[in-house]
Amino acid sequence: MRVFNAIIGFCLLFLCGGNQLNAGQQSDAATAAAPIRFAVAQAPLNLDPRYATDAASERVNRLIYHSLVDFDAASKPIPKLATWVAISPKEYRFTLNKSSASFHNQAALTAHDVKATYDSIKTLKDSPHAAEFTNIAYIEVIDESTVTFHLKQADQHFAAKLIIGILPKGLISKNHDFSHQPVGNGALEFVSWQNKLSLKRTTDGQMITLTEVKDPTVRVLKLLRGEADLLQGDLPPELVKHLQAKPEIIVKASQGANFSYLGLNMRDSVLKNLKVRQAIAHAIDRQAIIEKVMVKNTRIAGAILPPEHYAGNAGLKPYDYNPTLAKQLLLEAGIELPLKLIYKTSTDAQRVRFATILQAQMRPAGIDLEIRSLDWGTFFEDVKQGRFQLFGLTWVGIKTPEIYSTAFGSQNFPPNGFNRGRFSDAELDSLLAKEDWPAATSRIHAQLPYIPLWYEGQFAAFNKNIKNYLPKPDGNWDDLATIAYKK
Amino acid sequence: MTGAAMFLIKKLSSLATVVFGVLLLTFLLIHLVPGDPVEVMLGESANMADREALRADLGLDKPLIQQFGSYLAKLAHGDFGRSIHTKTPIIDLIKTRYPATVKLAVLSLIIGLIVGVPLGIYAALKANHWQDFIVTIVSVRLSAMPAFWLGPMFMLIFAVWWGWLPVSGMEPNTSIILPAMTLGFGLSAILTRMTRTSLLEVLNDDYIRTARAKGLSEKTVIFRHALRAALLPIITIVGLQMGSLLAGTVITETIFSWDGIGRLLVESIEKRDYPVTQACVLIVALSYVLVNLLTDILYQLADPRVRRA
Amino acid sequence: MKKFSYSILGSWLIAVVLGHLLQLNPNAIDLNVILSQPTTSHLFGADDLGRDILARILSGVEVSLIVALIVTVVSLGIGVLVGLLAGFYGGRVDAVLMQITDVFLAFPGILLAIAFAAVLGPGIGNLIMALCLTGWVSYARLTRGQTMSLRNRQHVQAAESLGASVPRLLFRHILPLLASILVVEATYSLASVMIAEASLSFLGLGIQAPNASWGAMLRDAVRYMLVAPHYVLIVGGCLMSLILAINLGGDHLRDTLDVRKEVS
Repeated sequence: MRVFNAIIGFCLLFLCGGNQLNAGQQSDAATAAAPIRFAVAQAPLNLDPRYATDAASERVNRLIYHSLVDFDAASKPIPKLATWVAISPKEYRFTLNKSSASFHNQAALTAHDVKATYDSIKTLKDSPHAAEFTNIAYIEVIDESTVTFHLKQADQHFAAKLIIGILPKGLISKNHDFSHQPVGNGALEFVSWQNKLSLKRTTDGQMITLTEVKDPTVRVLKLLRGEADLLQGDLPPELVKHLQAKPEIIVKASQGANFSYLGLNMRDSVLKNLKVRQAIAHAIDRQAIIEKVMVKNTRIAGAILPPEHYAGNAGLKPYDYNPTLAKQLLLEAGIELPLKLIYKTSTDAQRVRFATILQAQMRPAGIDLEIRSLDWGTFFEDVKQGRFQLFGLTWVGIKTPEIYSTAFGSQNFPPNGFNRGRFSDAELDSLLAKEDWPAATSRIHAQLPYIPLWYEGQFAAFNKNIKNYLPKPDGNWDDLATIAYKK
Repeated sequence: MTGAAMFLIKKLSSLATVVFGVLLLTFLLIHLVPGDPVEVMLGESANMADREALRADLGLDKPLIQQFGSYLAKLAHGDFGRSIHTKTPIIDLIKTRYPATVKLAVLSLIIGLIVGVPLGIYAALKANHWQDFIVTIVSVRLSAMPAFWLGPMFMLIFAVWWGWLPVSGMEPNTSIILPAMTLGFGLSAILTRMTRTSLLEVLNDDYIRTARAKGLSEKTVIFRHALRAALLPIITIVGLQMGSLLAGTVITETIFSWDGIGRLLVESIEKRDYPVTQACVLIVALSYVLVNLLTDILYQLADPRVRRA
Repeated sequence: MKKFSYSILGSWLIAVVLGHLLQLNPNAIDLNVILSQPTTSHLFGADDLGRDILARILSGVEVSLIVALIVTVVSLGIGVLVGLLAGFYGGRVDAVLMQITDVFLAFPGILLAIAFAAVLGPGIGNLIMALCLTGWVSYARLTRGQTMSLRNRQHVQAAESLGASVPRLLFRHILPLLASILVVEATYSLASVMIAEASLSFLGLGIQAPNASWGAMLRDAVRYMLVAPHYVLIVGGCLMSLILAINLGGDHLRDTLDVRKEVS
């Protein structure tokens, strides 16, 4: 029978041409007991904050655990679990807030937990975060709510590094499997993790589930069908517009702060010439791309950190699209046209779409761009190993201006940092050492180790019976702490 | 009896060789592809000493042959190791993922058989009539479309427009139907064609003519004699298809968020989670050879010529 | 039925030639007409970069057919050689060759495809290689089975006793009898290679942008099926018609060559 229906369905499909998409059935789930179902493009991999490195895990961990420090809108570090004072450049004293919630296993959060968490990171052999804390000499518990970090070398930005969620000491010593059964003291308490991740909000018992749905079309279909209540990001703008037109769906948009760029290889005989890099910058029509194939609220970018960041630079003048000038710059650099360049990117369809547009925009400038889309593992490995001429990537969730040193400092070639393009500039190094951010960002913008592209706009789409959720500039999911069904 | 035992022993030993070959091939490929598990674990900014320590810890500093040997030794003790990313024991991953793939494969096969074989018989009986033509066109249409086209179309029609079935996911129980249909319809197209062809051939065979000449009813001739003989190629096809279904159907599993072994395999490759890749390939190869063995046994049982002899 | 299939095949070939004559530009992007409906300037509408869908279909069918043809021919060559040797010599040679064949069958082809793209770089050549590496196996099995039964035929035995060399026996006395069944099998696999190319494209391992293949187009079209249904229906319909034609052609070929009678 089903088969028969399928055949009919097929015929119908050809008859109605797919234009009569009717409204997705509203789920009858608008009761407080029903979970809020969040369809995500990529499920978290590891819920132990000492191991997590992927964006999804970090976003969930922010909700399950609390860290000592968080950031304000200008990305300045602010107290979260604790306030701090620098007793000396090498000593930081943290005092836990009296009102901090206890752990989900009822244990109270004390200074011992803070010490145990950071001590364990230092001793774990395979923690990707261990390198960030090698500067800690030892951690001293003063009393139940006070703890002092003693450093080997002075570090005035030390506080901003303490963003790892605090784990309960009792479970750390028992080698508890935090990766799969996290216990923190955040807004969401872990319940179960089979095919979906189930979390319970501690304040009102609201259940929230996360399901991985890789395919963007399927995510939209699930939202329309009422099988998912919320989705965020990772859709082509056409689908966002489609959702906006649906009366039963609400789309909320905000500016983004994640920086997309083209990375260039300074070891390349052609690309080490500044004129060539300038030519490439003038051969990209960012405005046209943002208008035509990006979601709303996407902004042209000048530097890794956006202008509203305390180390941001609003004065950077974007390179305009000028293929004639680009061609002239190439000729001045003594390049024989067309200049052949290889651009590496992932296999993600939207990324390949950008690549194709870049290729078309660069052609009139005399640049013949060859696209190589590689599976993520290969692509990222090639980037890290410096096997590229050009590549496209996005920095996600960057908060501290230290990124300028790790990405462009001459001492920060991999594996000592993220300077994958092997950019080396003495003037920039001295500006970075002085922490003169406006001058450093201007220097980077002029020297072009990266071609800055844009900060992609953020959006979330949800059922109209949902409220209290807004997308955040760095794409985090913090509003899962407040999201609720309308009464 | 000894013949059967010999047959089994021979088969099992060749089975072991094939699995060994697959493991070796995987091992070599993994070491050929760019991507370093130590760097995956520690990230880019780890210092050299930590890297070397972890590398030694994991035994990755030893020669390849030795690594392969110790991998096999661990396997022999049933130790698959842990995932690099999630730190989950791989045996647990397999225990949850593989049954999902098996469930989907079996249901797809059932759908394929229910749809394909009767259509094939029908087409053979009406050979070269318009009904035959229609059946062929419909079945080819279904088999012509890759899962990533068929799947979303089914979702659109059955889930979003008509609201009968869930779009994707593992629950409720009905959510298996759409992915099974997506796979089953492709399968049914092959089975339709195979059934039609082999039935037509058998119907021209001497012994069927004899049966007809003996005055047996057309029904008896077809269902008792012809269909049994036509079963052989169908068994072969079903065996081969089952083998590839159990290998996990990457695209269908991805589209329908079905947590099966195929998706696990591809994701593990993407994330360079090599212990998981190895384990998946092992399971896939094992199920392939086992299904093959089963097919061979069934073949022996079903072959009328063998039985007559 | 055969007229039907051959006319579809024929019209696609004509379309390809026409596409060349008209010098269509399948890669010209126009961000102002992204996913637009069919119009007079874009008869089949425009794709997600405002490229003409008709032009891309015409250049895509060429790519898809060429890939399918090369893969089929190469797989056929390897498979037949392995199968002939295994079936002719039997015994240990057969055992070893068949084990290798089984390894390739049991090995997940997707891993092979990813490894190829990763090590040698993505692109049409490596796509073809990856598909060949998994494609030859079924021919090897088929050829082996047939060769085994032909090996004991009188004319082969006679030629052997007259001192014919092994290559001569294989290629003059056995292969010709196999030809028809192989040709039919190859026809069917043309269609399945086209689907395989589409599936690899879905995983992003297919033809590199900006070049068109039907597999890559289908993947893009499915992405936008909610907003531009004409795209997914046009590309899907084209793929269906071509594969239908190829399969029906195969059916017809089998009937005319009457494969079974010759071999058994």
